[in-house]
Amino acid sequence: MLLGILNSQAAGGGGGAYDLLETTTLATSASSVTFSGLDTLAAGYAHLQIRAVVRGVQSGTATLKANLNGDTGSNYSYHRLEGNGSSVSSAGGGSISFLSLGKVPGTSDSSEVFAPAIIDILNFSSTSQNTTARALSGNVGDVNNIALKSGLWVNTAAVTSISFANSSGDMVAGTRFSLYGIKGA
Amino acid sequence: MATPTYDLLESVTLATAASSVTFSSIDQGYGDLILVMSGTTAAGSTPQCQVNSDTGSNYSYVMMYGNGSAAYSSAGTSGQFNLTSSIRPTVPALTQTSFMDYTATDKHKSILTRGGTATVHTDAHAVRWASTSAIISIRVFASQDFSTGSTFNLYGVAK
Repeated sequence: MLLGILNSQAAGGGGGAYDLLETTTLATSASSVTFSGLDTLAAGYAHLQIRAVVRGVQSGTATLKANLNGDTGSNYSYHRLEGNGSSVSSAGGGSISFLSLGKVPGTSDSSEVFAPAIIDILNFSSTSQNTTARALSGNVGDVNNIALKSGLWVNTAAVTSISFANSSGDMVAGTRFSLYGIKGA
Repeated sequence: MATPTYDLLESVTLATAASSVTFSSIDQGYGDLILVMSGTTAAGSTPQCQVNSDTGSNYSYVMMYGNGSAAYSSAGTSGQFNLTSSIRPTVPALTQTSFMDYTATDKHKSILTRGGTATVHTDAHAVRWASTSAIISIRVFASQDFSTGSTFNLYGVAK
């Protein structure tokens, strides 16, 4: 167990085609959640999936973001398709400093409101391809949002760590990230 | 050791047409549930869902939809939620719905679903069931009977 964090972790390898590798559920507020040592923990898997429910300490609705291998440089690109309850929009861009994955509700919603996200990181151990991610995420509350997102990390390094954070402060107790490994051929 | 998961909890293939399918006494030992439906109905309808027999206006949603020529988004609150926007004869509607942290008693339940009928539309929905009760049953229903051969599979994903 990490300080302030309920954390269960399994060693890499073995298992089936879709395996739980690690879960972090915050016992107290924290600025980030990191899965590290993926070269060992997720050895033998082709893809990663993260299933998350998140809430932040901020007053409005913020952004769930991720950085790979600790890279906070402007090395990420994205496209998104999203609906807000009245219209659908699409946007894209590059040279941003994180993967944008979803929304993080805050104190403008009741304390029971968390936002879900299901994130896939594909071919994460490849050293010949830039790393791609996709997410299905939503938020139903002060801000309504349903989104499909694609992300690119412009780097051919194998992904060895993933850090998740709220764009506007800590994430609250009860926030949960579960990491899964998906086998390939 | 990694923990194999995505376990099939229950599978229903309709031998005769039925207006609803209910999964009850759901195993409480997982983190998330995933419901996968592939089905048709005798006439156009909408596949909908309620949990724990809750028929109150406790399901808030936001969705986006595209039909090949237009896209739109809507939001609201209702006594049930849609798994996808429509279901028809012949071409199956396919939905995959995640019930996140379904046993949590300190959270409203977050639900994400992607669905579509290839000849009609594709869509995605986020739903919040405004209850801190653990989900113990899921009922899928439509105004038209689901056709013979329609399948409903419920999986558990460990956390």
